[in-house]
Amino acid sequence: MSLLRSALVLAMASSTAMFAQMPSVSSVKAATGEKWQTRKAYVRFFSTTPIEDIEATNNQVSSVLDPLKGEFAFQVPIKAFVFEKALMQEHFNENYLESGKFPNATFTGKIVDFDPSKLTGSGEVKLVLRGKLNIHGQEREMDIPVVLKPKAGKGILEANFKIKPEDFGIEIPSAVRNKIAKDIEVSVKADYSA
Amino acid sequence: MSLRLAVLLLSVFFCGHGTLRAQDDLLSMLNDQVEVPEKEPVTAIFKGTKIINGQSPELPAPGVMQFMILHRFGAFSDDFFYNFFGLDNAEIRLSLEYSPVHWLSVGGGRSSFQKTYDGFVKYRLMRQSTGTRGFPLSIVGYSTANVQTLRWQDGLPHNESERWTYSHQLVLARKFSERFSLAVTPSLVHFNVVERSGDPNDVLAIGFGGRFKINRRLSFNAEYFPQLNPAQYGPEGERETYQNSLSLGFDIETGGHVFQLFFTNSRGLNDPSWMARTPGEWGQGDVYFGFNISRVFTVKAPDLPKSE
Repeated sequence: MSLLRSALVLAMASSTAMFAQMPSVSSVKAATGEKWQTRKAYVRFFSTTPIEDIEATNNQVSSVLDPLKGEFAFQVPIKAFVFEKALMQEHFNENYLESGKFPNATFTGKIVDFDPSKLTGSGEVKLVLRGKLNIHGQEREMDIPVVLKPKAGKGILEANFKIKPEDFGIEIPSAVRNKIAKDIEVSVKADYSA
Repeated sequence: MSLRLAVLLLSVFFCGHGTLRAQDDLLSMLNDQVEVPEKEPVTAIFKGTKIINGQSPELPAPGVMQFMILHRFGAFSDDFFYNFFGLDNAEIRLSLEYSPVHWLSVGGGRSSFQKTYDGFVKYRLMRQSTGTRGFPLSIVGYSTANVQTLRWQDGLPHNESERWTYSHQLVLARKFSERFSLAVTPSLVHFNVVERSGDPNDVLAIGFGGRFKINRRLSFNAEYFPQLNPAQYGPEGERETYQNSLSLGFDIETGGHVFQLFFTNSRGLNDPSWMARTPGEWGQGDVYFGFNISRVFTVKAPDLPKSE
């Protein structure tokens, strides 16, 4: 089994390396369908209540976007979120997101009403990402509006949206219920041009 | 072997046609590219920095100051109701410690028993971690220096060094699963002066501590510290040796704090006294209800990762 897996990984790695060696003229890239990718996308979440503001950020998010088909995937390693308070970070991992069991949050899907020409323009475009958001092992269909700014033949994707912990089976104990917002604000920034 | 080759060929074939991938393949593509980290520390082997009386392999996070209140009510066997459920004859220790870096914490405390001050240092030598360069154990050193400050009452000349005791421990711990962690702790306690001739100045003990998580917010903890060469205890004629410390209890997490509630036959709160000077016997009802409360303060917050 592990042999099989390592063979697969090897094959994938070598083919990725092939992609990376392609000519780097930007217009050619889109035409050949080279995927837009980053492993340094940024996700921040913010909870605000009269009692306490809680913020955590993560810049180890990976994302890939297929500029021909408008399909996308995001993978957010939960353990890479950093909090100001270390104890909060521990509780976040141990009790709320259970990152030992569910190490990643993911969002996969397709851009609504996609047309490849939307990604090749010179101005900002507003798009809607429709897909399955999986957090804490629980999946929900979501439409997330994003703004895409062109950069170096690719682009920077930015989004702001809200999620409810209860939608993903994340229980908030009554003792801290008034310290954690019902709606958590999430911001995302993925620069595919780097 | 031929299967391996077939898979290899197949996957090369499909990778060459990357545009055929669906969304889920995009995700697996990400998965395959995310490097398996060489070393990823295993976190929260135990919930707190103490298992009960003994040290866990955990240290406060860097930049964090931890305040602890340790409390032991009087024994069930010691006029329990007369002493208002042991409240009248409770022992308490307050301590403050700080971690300037992730592998080190230093602090001090004061126990009511024999008016003892202590200073301690805890340092992580190895950290249990996963990955290609992972390590199976956390290894943490812990040393204390303790000085009791009772007034001399016997009218005899004393040397101040008689007041000092020390302890050194090496905590070897492993998180076997999300639920179960175990620590083995070889320990040395040094007394500058002992009560009786023939008592060892250096007492050796090997501690065993474990936790079993019942659910996300509750765990059962147990701890036993057998001594290899315990000192003598009791009046002439009915002399016996000091008992081994045995403690059973729960870690309860309420969201912000960790409360540790337990029963133990050790009343002393500084390390030499609970490890090597425990007269109480479980079988005789010399059991103390106790709790530990910790509160942490972020002195120096980490820099949050920024977007590029």
